Amino acid sequence: EELSVVGSWSSLPLDKQFEQPFWTKELPKASNGEITVQMTTHDQMGISGGDVFRILSDGVFDVGMTVGDYAVGDAPELEGLDVPLVATTAAEAEAMVDAARPMVDDIFKERFNSRVLAIAPYPPQVVFCKGDVKSLADLKDKKVRGSGRMTTKFLQALGANGVNVAFSEVPGALERGVIDCAVTGAGSGYSAGWYEVSDHLFAIPLGGWDPVVTAMNMDKWDSLSPDLQKLITTEVKTKFEEPAWAAAAGAYETDIACLTGKGDCPLGKPANMTLVEPSDADLAKAKEILTTVVLPEWGERAGAEWVKRWNDSVGKTVGVTVPLN
Amino acid sequence: MIYAVTASLLGFLALSIPVGIVLFLLGFGVDQFFSPFPLIRGLGQVVWSSSNSSTLIAIPFFVLLGEILVRGGIAERTYEALDKWFSWLPGGLIHANIGTATMFSATSGSSVATAATVATVAMPQAEKLGYDPRLFSGAIAAGGTLGIMIPPSINLIVYGFLTETSIPRLFLAGLVPGLMMAVAFMVMTAILCKIKPTLGGSSRSFSWDERFASLRHLVPIVVLFLVVIGSIYAGWATPTESAAVGVAIAFLIAAFNRGVSKEMIHTCLQGTVRITAMIMLVIIGAYFLNFSLTAAGLGRELKEMLVGLDLSPMGTLMVIIGLYIVLGFFIETLSLMVATIPIVVPIMTGMGFDKVWFGILLIVLIEMALITPPVGLNLYVVQSARKAGRLSEVMVGTLPFVLVMVAMIALLVAVPSVALFLPDYF
Amino acid sequence: MGEPSAVIALLIARLRRINSLIGFIAGLVLVACVILILADIILREAGISFGGAEEISGYVMAGVASWGMSYALGELAHVRIDLIRLRLQQRGRALLDLIAIVALAATAVVIAVQSWPVLAKTIERGSSANTVLATPLWIPQSIWLSGWIWFAVFSCVLVILTLALLVKGRFDEADALVGARSEVELES
Ligand code: NA
Ligand code: NA
Repeated sequence: EELSVVGSWSSLPLDKQFEQPFWTKELPKASNGEITVQMTTHDQMGISGGDVFRILSDGVFDVGMTVGDYAVGDAPELEGLDVPLVATTAAEAEAMVDAARPMVDDIFKERFNSRVLAIAPYPPQVVFCKGDVKSLADLKDKKVRGSGRMTTKFLQALGANGVNVAFSEVPGALERGVIDCAVTGAGSGYSAGWYEVSDHLFAIPLGGWDPVVTAMNMDKWDSLSPDLQKLITTEVKTKFEEPAWAAAAGAYETDIACLTGKGDCPLGKPANMTLVEPSDADLAKAKEILTTVVLPEWGERAGAEWVKRWNDSVGKTVGVTVPLN
Repeated sequence: MIYAVTASLLGFLALSIPVGIVLFLLGFGVDQFFSPFPLIRGLGQVVWSSSNSSTLIAIPFFVLLGEILVRGGIAERTYEALDKWFSWLPGGLIHANIGTATMFSATSGSSVATAATVATVAMPQAEKLGYDPRLFSGAIAAGGTLGIMIPPSINLIVYGFLTETSIPRLFLAGLVPGLMMAVAFMVMTAILCKIKPTLGGSSRSFSWDERFASLRHLVPIVVLFLVVIGSIYAGWATPTESAAVGVAIAFLIAAFNRGVSKEMIHTCLQGTVRITAMIMLVIIGAYFLNFSLTAAGLGRELKEMLVGLDLSPMGTLMVIIGLYIVLGFFIETLSLMVATIPIVVPIMTGMGFDKVWFGILLIVLIEMALITPPVGLNLYVVQSARKAGRLSEVMVGTLPFVLVMVAMIALLVAVPSVALFLPDYF
Repeated sequence: MGEPSAVIALLIARLRRINSLIGFIAGLVLVACVILILADIILREAGISFGGAEEISGYVMAGVASWGMSYALGELAHVRIDLIRLRLQQRGRALLDLIAIVALAATAVVIAVQSWPVLAKTIERGSSANTVLATPLWIPQSIWLSGWIWFAVFSCVLVILTLALLVKGRFDEADALVGARSEVELES
């Protein structure tokens, strides 16, 4: 059985450390050669992240993976998979994703004619600021580079200005004062040298966790023998999803250590940013904005049925309820 | 697969099927014969995503900017001024071609737009003054390629976008190599015309009064450069937005010079749409071919080949340079970049090469691809601005400048700081 | 023999006028986009964030590209490599021109047909952009798709007209219609 697999960003650790080894080596080995894999990534194919699941649903390839957030244009209910600020640790994020899994399964079946195999995390999307930022309230009137609709709406509700700046331009923009803060994964920010132009690291997942969904075209899935289906399901869970989550927590700690200079930094030269941990008041404020502004707006996009399901699953896990009217 | 694709590429091109269409046909062929998957079902999505791009919109903006400069009479006056300054050199007006191309490169982000602009003002002169058409048109095609090296540059924007490199840093890095190449083009022209005076026209001399009087005609271009580049460094505009700023300023300058009329606007707009569509058909076709080739496993084959050679960093670099020279013969440049950068740049940076430096090296290779047959957009653009003569004359005329580019590549490899000292200094 | 050729000539003139208008309108849309971006820059400096200009300029690019295709085709602007063509006699050239326009028309039809599902899915799912503007994607995609459809229709008409002219032996007119003289107007 030959599988054509399209991975997420080829430049990021998730693809290099987990996707590529699993699909090109471990799965073929575990199947005793019954499965062979041809793998590339969406950026190498020149297709945008938002097209991966669209093209997957047409059966142009068999397995596709990309950030769930990229596909919300086609499925607004999918925004519920990655609500910013409700999960602050990897364990909480994993619980949130687990709770959302049945919803995501249905969304992918319905919208993209495909079967979800795994949901793995990117590191949390935290805030790099130039200048003193001690709390969420300090972001008011600041120019912040964020991405994704929920994050931008959240910033607006906070009284901050969302600014669109390409990732590679962030250092220059911070330096020249075009923006005051920027949101990205802690590891990406470290390797791109953002600590050289910013001084405060606000460790709050303002951009969420950007979970990456791995899905297989449903027709392909149905054509596989039950044995193969079972093999893929267990292998992908034990050798890809679980290790990726296990590494997420450790990677986050390492990234923070490298950025702040407190603790071991195996990645290279440690920086000395000031770490700002969110206070209880910050989290309470975040929750308030989410439940009064951001999530009700999402509810209108997604529809009451999905909101109800979300409240009963993800909402329960993270302790947030979207008001239904 | 590589052989079949190359052979059909050459065959279709020889049949004079439009280049963009050839790329689509090859994509269909790869889908049909080399891919177990129905790739064609992805066609629509690829066409939509490749053209729905706020990065690529810089192309029509820079083309429009060039059109305004030509139709508003600014290009012509710049050309005349540079004629007064440079035409005493052996080779005469050819130096004005290179000089004008260099100045326009500083306002335009596109080599094609730069070559089109200069060709439109210069070509009528070649016929009037009896120049050898080969070197004359070759200098325009080659000089035009500076458009993507001297900032602003669409190709550097695309490179920065794909590799997550700072675009302002790339722009700074391109400045010195770009100017060095301009000078080298002139030196090459002077040497050739010294050896064989029939290649150039007569040297023309102007008085210093005439020269200084002509300087004011260079002011508009300098202003444009300062505004376009300044708006990026001041943090007002993104590199793409700066193209829109350039259009507005060019229009104001043309209006100030009373060069704006209803006809002029009409011609500018239609010319822009025509050139943009011509470029976009090639780019979209290249995207689809890249999509098909990658899905059929060519990217992986290429990567495995490179890694499997197990060479030293310098050896790998040489192989990659050779690869780009060969691919550059056949593949349109933006699509060549889009197709190869995600594979090549991680290998290069993994071996310790600087990302900004490699971007500049790549641009020289891309410049070369623009003037090497059979697929070289600048050759066609210059040819299309001529009233008579064969495309092969332009191709022969660019050869000496290809040599200069090879020398530039060698210099960049030997002395990386040629590109890096400016961005490192700031 | 006067009647049918007069019809062909009239038809060609009409198509030219339509495409010329399309080229002009597409240009105006570009100008509007320039103004939008400038407004966005100024508002941003004034501290008001609007932030939709980038997204909209992407849609403009897609629309200008697809609608510009037919205008460029009518103006013989799509790049062709004529190294061999130039060495041929009139009949040989006419044959290559016919092959080129047939290949182009076939490709244009495939693109138009394969692009329809993009819009169809968007409509079916009610897709909107993942941005603050949340643009309903059917709007830009309809404009974009119709440009490709017109390109397909126009190129098919050109195939028929070329065949008609060649059958009548009117090589010069066929050459003017689908030849490879990609002359950018020089007289500035
Ligand atoms: Na330039
Ligand atoms: Na070439």
